[in-house]
Amino acid sequence: MRHLLNYLVTRILLTIPMIFIMLTLIFVVLRVMPGDPVSAMLGGHAPQQVIDEQKAKLGLNKPIAAQYVDYLGHLIHLDLGDSMIFNEKVSSPILDKLPATIELTLFGLLASLGIGIPLGAYAARRRRTGRDYGIRVYANVVYCIPVFWMGLLLQLVFGVFLGWFPISGRTGPRVDISSFTWSGFYIIDTLRAGDMAVFGDVLWHLVLPALTLGIVLSGIFVRLTRANMLDVLKGDYILAARARGIPERRVVYNHGLRNALIPIVTMLGLQFSLLLAGAILTESTFSWPGMGRLLLERIYLRDYPVIQGVIIVYTLFVSFVSLLVDLLYAAIDPRVKY
Amino acid sequence: MKKLSVVVLSVLAAGVLLFVVACGGTKSVTTLVYGTTDKVTKMDPADAYDIHTWEIFQNISAGLLMYTPGTATIVPGLATAYTVNATGDVYTFTLRKGVKFSNGDAFNAQAVKWSIDRVIKLNGDPAALVTQYVKSVDVVDDNTVRFNLKGPVSYFPALVATPTYFPMDPKVYPADKIVQDVNELTGGEIVALGPYRLTSFKRDEQAVFEANPKYWGKEPNIKKIIIRYFADATTMRLALEKGEVDLTFKSMLPSDIKDLSANANLTTYPIPGQQIRYLCFETSQSVFKNKILRQAVAALVNRPEINQKVFLGQNAPLYSMIPAGMSYHTEDFKTVFGDANVAAAEKLLTGLGYSKSKPFKFDLWYTPSHYGDTEVNMAEVLKAELETTPLIKVTLKNAEWATYKKQWDQKQMPVFLLGWYPDYVDPDDYTSPFAQTEGSKGMGIYFSDKAWDDLFLKEQGATDDASRNATFAQIQKMWTDDVPTVPIYQGNLYVFSKKNVTGVNIGATLIFNYSELKFTK
Repeated sequence: MRHLLNYLVTRILLTIPMIFIMLTLIFVVLRVMPGDPVSAMLGGHAPQQVIDEQKAKLGLNKPIAAQYVDYLGHLIHLDLGDSMIFNEKVSSPILDKLPATIELTLFGLLASLGIGIPLGAYAARRRRTGRDYGIRVYANVVYCIPVFWMGLLLQLVFGVFLGWFPISGRTGPRVDISSFTWSGFYIIDTLRAGDMAVFGDVLWHLVLPALTLGIVLSGIFVRLTRANMLDVLKGDYILAARARGIPERRVVYNHGLRNALIPIVTMLGLQFSLLLAGAILTESTFSWPGMGRLLLERIYLRDYPVIQGVIIVYTLFVSFVSLLVDLLYAAIDPRVKY
Repeated sequence: MKKLSVVVLSVLAAGVLLFVVACGGTKSVTTLVYGTTDKVTKMDPADAYDIHTWEIFQNISAGLLMYTPGTATIVPGLATAYTVNATGDVYTFTLRKGVKFSNGDAFNAQAVKWSIDRVIKLNGDPAALVTQYVKSVDVVDDNTVRFNLKGPVSYFPALVATPTYFPMDPKVYPADKIVQDVNELTGGEIVALGPYRLTSFKRDEQAVFEANPKYWGKEPNIKKIIIRYFADATTMRLALEKGEVDLTFKSMLPSDIKDLSANANLTTYPIPGQQIRYLCFETSQSVFKNKILRQAVAALVNRPEINQKVFLGQNAPLYSMIPAGMSYHTEDFKTVFGDANVAAAEKLLTGLGYSKSKPFKFDLWYTPSHYGDTEVNMAEVLKAELETTPLIKVTLKNAEWATYKKQWDQKQMPVFLLGWYPDYVDPDDYTSPFAQTEGSKGMGIYFSDKAWDDLFLKEQGATDDASRNATFAQIQKMWTDDVPTVPIYQGNLYVFSKKNVTGVNIGATLIFNYSELKFTK
């Protein structure tokens, strides 16, 4: 336990330099890029005096190093600063949009695991058959498909041609969402409000975006599961289980798959950052009002503090998930010690 | 029963239940859903200067004067009448009695003065619409307010009808700062004087409007309108075809417009455009300081080709900065240059010493996303047109909007593409911002000529139609000589709606009155 705690503390402390490096890179890149937020904000019609005043107000007239020190000073107090374009704290739009991205990412992850792991296990069981080859082709193809293209394809087929699913947004267009603002997670908020119709509507709206992310990422889980399963199925204990007359399905899925899942847990942490990246494009395709769309919009507006804030949140997320995965790994594999 | 079958059946059952529950979602035939890719900027008429945020204010608020829906006819709004003094620089408005803001606060002359003083003080983006013309505002009595102008302005009523002049509740809006979002207001809601109240707003998701029970005018036909914001035109098109939205306005791609116009299940409303696109020249220090070179470029532009290749024929070639359909419009660029007039261009260029071996080289700038996805195509077609003569070599360059604006301020772009939606419906708004000394600076053109400035002052102060007509005729003629800009096309806008939606009544003003919309059975 003491070792685990030490490991935990070390990992948390290591997150700080990671964020620091990311932040410094983003800070410098944003400020050396051409274009500035004041021009974007004032629309190009403002007199020079007004532009200069606004730059001074936002601290943009200071040297980059001074701006950086100011920013770090705020960050130490856990203050992400103020938006340069809108009169709001940086945390405000981030907290507003974050639940949408978490919902989408979680369901995307569930979809990728729900598709990838069973298919991978089945392919291993049916090794060197047509089904195995078919599943492997599927895995390679879907991983190469750009996520936005997958999204458009699903929209067209299931949304427009078949009309089974909605193609945009988190809720139906006629739903007034002002009643569901308690946590920002519409699944929780609608259940809390007791509105089962809207709850169902929210889940229905999640299907296509989550599948978009899930299908594209399932490819890697198919391949990983299959490879791990093939290794595991060669084990002596598997042979022993078969020898004891345990049905093949139980041998594969109960005994084999459980052990094959361990490396998949590790991959989960690595894939999470891909999920977040994929979520940005998925959010654009499905008009999903999450952090990805926020980031794209604020890049366009040169809203430096919000861009930096979003990157920090993404970095924290990836770090947290990686840490969680490591802890989970230790929990499910008694051979792993920290 | 085997475990797997139980699991599979459970999943299927959950899916069916979910489907049924989802289908039983909130449905209302008295709510209209309107899709757009536009964005709201700032929820403050003292700073909002984009067409969509103005559209919102035009529906939740009102002006002393307003337009009859679908027309450019100015009629009484919050003011029942106005008088103008003999010199045309004092307007006195008589306000409508008994009008209340949507929260019950009384509307009076003090609110009008407070709102105008606020616009002047805060000096936001559209403030020039007030500060350029208004010297002061006086409260004569509770129902009478007087605007003292800096000089006679013949189109002042059109200015008063813009959202920048709309009265806001002094108890709700802060006097000393611009409001970015609704939650900054006292009470967390915009309080105004229009047919609708904005009851809910979530940036990039939706805006919900409900009929204002305290509205002084005609009650809207549809009591609830939800605007649904889309990240891109393709998703919005799919949503319309699927029936998720009842209506869409701004902005579909040309190929989508073509397909949707042919869709028998939808109604198409083409709106003759008052938006224009044009080339701007930096005239003070770039290579285009010489007007002969500007004339040469103007001669080479082929408007019908741009319209056909890039916009599939959906827009209209434009031969003056004043769009067709507006008063005083002429076709001088057609008369003087025509389209793709290579001979004329080559004559001008060879006169300056350019040749095939020594071509005139310059950078043509555009911004790739601000005006929609067609901008790249338009720039490439334009480049090809300009290079029809071997005496010109064009390098295309682009910059994102924020950089683009900075560069035009800093005179870094010798020639660049821009677009314009009208602030107020008057030919002055299509001319003076580009060629009057003060306005021209702000547009990166830096054109300055006293003769031109005098003409603009003359038309701005003229009170009779004949005088303005003559002045604008002269300005447009001079435009083909000095060529501070080259008009290219005038854009049509399109509204698409389900068959059961009527009342789409958007005219030259581009004002979209939601209260006119209705569902037919």
